Amino acid sequence: MQTLRTMFIGAMFAAMVSALAVVVQAQDVKVTDPRSVLMIVNRDSNDIGFMDLKTRKMIGRTFLGNNVNPHMVMMSPDGRYVVTGGTRANKAFIIDTRTLQLIKTIQVDIAPEHLAFSPDGRWYYQGNPDGDSVSVIDMQSLTKIKTIPGFVEPLNVTFTSDGSKAYVGNYGAHWVGVIDVRRHELLKKIQVAEVPGVAKLDPAKYLGEIKGINIAALSNDGRYLYAADSDLNVVSVIDTREDKVIKTIRVGKNPWRIYMSHDGKYGITINNDDETISIIDTKSNSVAATLEAGSDMTGVNFAGGKAFVISSTSGFVYVYDMGSLKPAGRIRVGTNVQLETATTDAADENIYLAESTNHEVVIINAKTHGIERIKNVGLYPWGTHIMDSKDNYCH
Amino acid sequence: MERRFLPRCPNVFGRIAALLIILGSGAPAAAQAPATPQMNMADHRGGIQGAVGTESKAPVAGATVTATNAETGAQFTATTDQQGGYNFAALPPGKYDITILSPTGVTTFRRTGIEVVADRTVPLDIAMTPATAAEAAEFERQALVQRIATLEQRITELEASTVLSEPETRVRRVEVFVDPTGGEHEEPVAGARPVVTYQRERVYRRQTISEKIEEALEEADERNVALGVDAAMGTQFAGRTRGSLDANRRAYALASADLFFTAGLAQNTIFFADIVGLSGAPPDAEIPTLTLLNGYTARLIRQNEINLREAWLRTELFGQRLALTAGRLDLTNYFDQNAFANDETTQFISDALVNNQMLGLSSNGTGVGAEFDPKNGFRFKFGFQQSNTDATNLSDSLYTLSEVGYTFTPFALPEGTYRVWFRTDNTAPGAIRTGVGLSFDQKITPAVGLFTRYGIGEADPEGSPLIYQRHHFFSAGFGVQNGLVLNPQDTWGAGYAQLQLASGEQEHLAEGYYNFQLTERLRLSFHLTHVLDKPDADTRFGYVLPGIRFQAAF
Repeated sequence: MQTLRTMFIGAMFAAMVSALAVVVQAQDVKVTDPRSVLMIVNRDSNDIGFMDLKTRKMIGRTFLGNNVNPHMVMMSPDGRYVVTGGTRANKAFIIDTRTLQLIKTIQVDIAPEHLAFSPDGRWYYQGNPDGDSVSVIDMQSLTKIKTIPGFVEPLNVTFTSDGSKAYVGNYGAHWVGVIDVRRHELLKKIQVAEVPGVAKLDPAKYLGEIKGINIAALSNDGRYLYAADSDLNVVSVIDTREDKVIKTIRVGKNPWRIYMSHDGKYGITINNDDETISIIDTKSNSVAATLEAGSDMTGVNFAGGKAFVISSTSGFVYVYDMGSLKPAGRIRVGTNVQLETATTDAADENIYLAESTNHEVVIINAKTHGIERIKNVGLYPWGTHIMDSKDNYCH
Repeated sequence: MERRFLPRCPNVFGRIAALLIILGSGAPAAAQAPATPQMNMADHRGGIQGAVGTESKAPVAGATVTATNAETGAQFTATTDQQGGYNFAALPPGKYDITILSPTGVTTFRRTGIEVVADRTVPLDIAMTPATAAEAAEFERQALVQRIATLEQRITELEASTVLSEPETRVRRVEVFVDPTGGEHEEPVAGARPVVTYQRERVYRRQTISEKIEEALEEADERNVALGVDAAMGTQFAGRTRGSLDANRRAYALASADLFFTAGLAQNTIFFADIVGLSGAPPDAEIPTLTLLNGYTARLIRQNEINLREAWLRTELFGQRLALTAGRLDLTNYFDQNAFANDETTQFISDALVNNQMLGLSSNGTGVGAEFDPKNGFRFKFGFQQSNTDATNLSDSLYTLSEVGYTFTPFALPEGTYRVWFRTDNTAPGAIRTGVGLSFDQKITPAVGLFTRYGIGEADPEGSPLIYQRHHFFSAGFGVQNGLVLNPQDTWGAGYAQLQLASGEQEHLAEGYYNFQLTERLRLSFHLTHVLDKPDADTRFGYVLPGIRFQAAF
């Protein structure tokens, strides 16, 4: 009887402890559905902000450390982790999505900025533009397993859909790097275009600051890559089977990079020197239209059959009808403001634009062009990200 | 975990004394260990003993053997005797690295992890071979690499912390709500009216020193007056192909220099001035064609004199949808801006392929231009200008231009712009002359575009028989860019223009050009023009004009 009583009391105690643990755990869980949140990179408050997409309220902010200067945020394909590279800390940061706790800090190379996950979520490739390298982080062990050297200001990484290769845009050169993901090694350098012969007459342009390739963007079927070269004013089409340039398309002056439409029909380059956009038809691989745009463009989002082009310093978002390929108005976000980059929700209904001057995120309805401002998201919001969005990019 | 406690003492002074005793007893011991490595102490120490020989087992005398404690870094040294023997008799227990340095300071032998235990001597005979020397050298190299990596890491950490973190201040335009008592509210309240005001706020932006410098330079640039130069030298040769005019096999050259001044005065408001000076002799001085054979001639007022061509203010209103330009200007510059045939500095040199001749304005003057761009493909323009510099009032010399343009992508072609314009001019006494024109530029491929202009203008009223007659102008051609060129930035094109005046005079002109973009600032173009004029029913003259234009713009 004494034994039974002892066992009963013990069981009761264990149940109470378990219940208490569950309650505590439930309180710690801040995000139950990773698709329900907008992530905001706050450059100067050194944190990642999380906003509920439905209520449009801030859920929390994960502080990364002083002088971290996070650049781009991305969620792992399984939604378990949120990662960012701290440009001035030379570190990668891994946040647990459920609790929004910073769970791991990993030393990478110098000035990490843009990043990408392999499609299976196993590898997190962090580009280090000042270190001229790509850091490979194993998402199973959450450790850096390798640093791949040999790049020249690597800005963006693009994995093929089968995850066998990754392509790296080198902003300090005119080639795209091909990484063998199995061995995490630089396999090949694809020269996107030749520097014109008259370049030697213009050393100030060609031997000064080089502006090469920001990103190699994949076509929807994964067969082709489109890489814009800012100095050479071209977009080169690369066949991913042979890793060879099959066509070079001339676009406007100083194309920052190319953005692929969600239906895969078009790619848009933003040409900041002549303040135009070039719309490339991916079927014919030719420029379908060159249209006037704004100054200092930083990104393109697609939603509701339209393209929304962010003009950073003018305070406008330029809109283009992707059916008729003609201008469809302009959205005034504000005056004396600086627009950064944006993401589009998975339903292609709303665009979430970071506006750094007023520390806000501006939500643009793609259909009505109406805007809503979410204030105090953090200091100097620099970029946004939503899981499964097709417009997850950074400066 | 081991914890250490201070000895219990009855008072504070006692505790301090005890602390001093502990510190005092520990410090000398730690300091003495590496300083006196070979102390002959019998207290629970160990040793390493052996002989150093060559690969052929010959003893090495006088070699310095160093034992380094892997944990503390304490170093002990011994020198080999004539038989190569060495002895570390009293080493604190622990793991040791044994190294031998050559007389030149190069490590020739290294072995790590020799375990020394208390009261025992470890035997270690050393054979110095090329393999052990290479192994030692590799170890040294790795250590050096590691040290460099550590130093690099320290530098990057130092860089990471070199950030300006002082908050800046900036003035923001804000909307507030002022109630009848003068109280200001951030949110609407009953009876309050919205008022725009300005207030300072702190902006937290972390900037590196280089970002800060860059920003300051940009700001200084914005406040300065920007100066631009467009200098060109056009050389043409004229060979008569028809008629009997004197001019034949002659060379002509016209040099032009434009100085542009631009200054930002307020938000979306700029001041612009263009001062031009020309010198030389264009073919138009000798060949009396209806249109100018060198488009630069239109700028020539007096040889070798500097003239103010344009000076105006431009501001953008209503979300930059409406742009207003006012001052001294050439209104035709801002209308009928055909993409392939609009600029004598980079495209055709003949004025007939630069302007629609029916626009009909030959001089610059005071005026206003307005452009409404709703950013949906349409563009609406209206402007008026003084058309006669001799007129004493605007009413007697009013020239107006209106235009509607539309940009779209018809029939799955790339973009094209289609426009229609209408002009009035009351310069001629007693009547308002009108003109109307159409113009389009349409890309048919990303590299090739077509252009066409057509215009009708009312004839001069002098002479009643002509009053209902019209002048007609037509031009068409193509332009090539971004493909089918020798260098990526080159352009070329060809065009034809026809002018028929109400008086019966006619002109046919054709021109082809190729423009080499040598650098971003230098262009060299080759032109070939043929013109055929018919001043009256019985007279005709024709000329072929090869030409070269060299242009620098910066």
